[in-house]
Amino acid sequence: MTSFAIFIMLLKAGAVVLFPLVLSAVLTWADRRQGAMTQDRVGPNRAVVFVPTRWAQAAVVLPAVLAVALFLWWVVASKGVQGPERTRQAAFCSHLAILALWTTALGVAGHVRRFGAHNDLDRAVARVGDPRQFVYYGMGLHAVAALVQVWLRGTSEGRFLREFGVSSGPALLALAVLGGAAYTALVLGRQDRVGVRLVGLLHVVADGIKSAFKEDLIPPKSDRLLHGLAPLIVMFPVLGLLGVVPFGDALCLETENGSIAGIAATVTNESFCSQGVVVPLQVLDLDIGILFYFALGGTGVVGAALAGWSSDNKFSLLGGLRAAGQMVSYEVTLGLTIIGALMIYGTLRIDQMVMWQAENAWGIVVQPVGFVLFFAAAIAEAKRIPFDLPEGESEIVAGYFTEYSGLKFAMFYVSEYVAVVASSGLMAALFFGGWHVPFVDREGLNLVLGDLAVFSAPLSHPVVVAIGVLAFVLKILALCWLQLAVRWTLPRFRYDQLMALGWRKLLPASLGNIAVTAVVVLAIQGAGVQVDRGLRALGDLTELGVAVVGVVLVCWLVRYWLQPAVHQKLEVTSSAKYARAAGGTRTARMGT
Amino acid sequence: MAEPGLGPRKVVGTPTHRPARTARIQSYVPEVAAGVGITLKHFFRNTKEMVLGQRPDPVIESVNEGVNTLSYPEQRRPYPERFRGLHRLTRRRDGSPRCVACLCCSTACPAQCIHIEPAEYPEGDPRRGYERYPARFVIDELRCIFCGFCVEACPCDAIRMDTGIHPTPYDSRDQFIYERDLLMGFVGRDASQQGDNPRHEPPDPTYPGLDRHHHGHDD
Repeated sequence: MTSFAIFIMLLKAGAVVLFPLVLSAVLTWADRRQGAMTQDRVGPNRAVVFVPTRWAQAAVVLPAVLAVALFLWWVVASKGVQGPERTRQAAFCSHLAILALWTTALGVAGHVRRFGAHNDLDRAVARVGDPRQFVYYGMGLHAVAALVQVWLRGTSEGRFLREFGVSSGPALLALAVLGGAAYTALVLGRQDRVGVRLVGLLHVVADGIKSAFKEDLIPPKSDRLLHGLAPLIVMFPVLGLLGVVPFGDALCLETENGSIAGIAATVTNESFCSQGVVVPLQVLDLDIGILFYFALGGTGVVGAALAGWSSDNKFSLLGGLRAAGQMVSYEVTLGLTIIGALMIYGTLRIDQMVMWQAENAWGIVVQPVGFVLFFAAAIAEAKRIPFDLPEGESEIVAGYFTEYSGLKFAMFYVSEYVAVVASSGLMAALFFGGWHVPFVDREGLNLVLGDLAVFSAPLSHPVVVAIGVLAFVLKILALCWLQLAVRWTLPRFRYDQLMALGWRKLLPASLGNIAVTAVVVLAIQGAGVQVDRGLRALGDLTELGVAVVGVVLVCWLVRYWLQPAVHQKLEVTSSAKYARAAGGTRTARMGT
Repeated sequence: MAEPGLGPRKVVGTPTHRPARTARIQSYVPEVAAGVGITLKHFFRNTKEMVLGQRPDPVIESVNEGVNTLSYPEQRRPYPERFRGLHRLTRRRDGSPRCVACLCCSTACPAQCIHIEPAEYPEGDPRRGYERYPARFVIDELRCIFCGFCVEACPCDAIRMDTGIHPTPYDSRDQFIYERDLLMGFVGRDASQQGDNPRHEPPDPTYPGLDRHHHGHDD
């Protein structure tokens, strides 16, 4: 292998190991803070680091300046483009500038409403009234800009406005971003020290650092080798699970005289990267693909059992036995559930599965029952609530990791969340199209329904790949969050209920899924061209459905957030009268 | 109806309601989805209110669903009107303590935390023989159980517990011993009156006088 290939592989391996680790920290935060939101309370919000005001101001202003500088450098570097590309650039710059303007104004208005007006800018912004007005003005400006672009296409006024967009768009964007940063720095400058809370993320950081410094207690009569080995056996294999999952479409690197020159600017759908070096966004290029995932996932059983046995503690032993039994049971279902999907995709390689979904329909459409079964089995494999009896906090102290402290405990804890991330990654790749975004293919955004090309916006190759990676990460986040939501909702299963669910409900259901899928697949293969075309049309329709659902979701979210909150007042007690006289109980604010 | 083997008595009462064992319930998935929906409804509403600063006020809007958490001590819940806080000694119009050292409060106090040293007015003072004044008035706020018996016992409205000040957690016991001047320095919750109780004082027409023969202070 060339040194370049080794370098690329190390880079990908590092990213694939760091990604679940960072995400597990974020998920721990989400579990605490957002879980508290579901219970109508705030969650941990006391971890604070006080930084000098100058540092906080620098931390706000410098990234803004850097971002603006990068954007302006990109605008200047792409100065010489002409034709439709220039129109697209003008539209992009103008919309970005409008977005920056109204979001900055909204931020300022919200701050002024909460903390009062201190200078003329504040007073001017407060005169507008409700901060929601800025959202409406912004959306109106976006609509006007889009209409103008469509209406004046090809005319001389259109060309003038295009030049205006290309030149003044970046300038307005720079003004808005730098103005917002300067305002934030001004607001921070009123305090003599700034308390940084990062909405509670510092709690997770503090927890991690604390666990490294805690005393490592090893039970005196325990098997020291196994006691130390168990967390390693649990932790390291789950970090490699995402190695066979593709994070995006392959990158095409251009070569010049045999050496790598850079990322290709554009690629075509037909001949993908015939003259360049293809870098798949996947660490391992194995033909067995998904079997590698299940092989590594099975090692968790050994780790849990070892932890329980080597702790010299009856409760730990119980927890370890429960863990081993549970994981073995649900692994059977996990494997069998996939077989239905494997029959349809026809391959064990996950990147080819994603390509199948990109061309036909997402896995959730063709295997809905399989998804539900896999989801339940994946939660059980990771020993998450409602299947967390091996760690049953209120019953056997902490189950199989009772006797672990410090960094070893942190390894168990993190490996649980890494298993959540890895299983979400696999589910996203298998059932939700992986990195595929509806109507985005290698050339850009192509809204094509059957044979009817409705809309097309060519995008450069790096942008397309970045969109795919971002979409995949968002899908993983959504699935992790769904697992968290199930944790917040359900009570724990009793052990006999858990085992009965695994063997008597999920296993027969997955076998039934295999049987039904086999029959349907054979029927489709035996049927004629008409059925094939009908199914392809259906596949396109599901793609459209996903896109529509996404757009509707975004619209609903925006409308939900613009709604004012209506609270019913109850001022019967004298405390309430005093609070009303003081202008509300929350006169102080704790900070971000 | 009487089951065979259960005797001649009729079975009475309502049967226990048990959930139906339909496929919808037994498969557990629709119920899980409904439960997750309730969880997420709370989540979205609370997150939106939290981020946009629309959380309901914990005291005024406490009936609402939402995050009603107070971050004590930066935010405080106001005490009720009749909250018994630190004691204060009220004053007359001329600034002297209203207390006549009758020792009713120290007698009534269950925790015996009030120590009063009464002193006689000097010779020639018209109040001599009718009233006394406290030379020392000491309350140990650590022993105090904040029952309010002293306030109820005082016949002159001289001691009140309406400062609204929560007893301060000091480091050592001697810091809790409050002397007369400190107690006279506290103000009531309204802060509008430093200690004035204008009723029954000269020149108020309802002033009863020292006795039926002496009306007014300088009588």
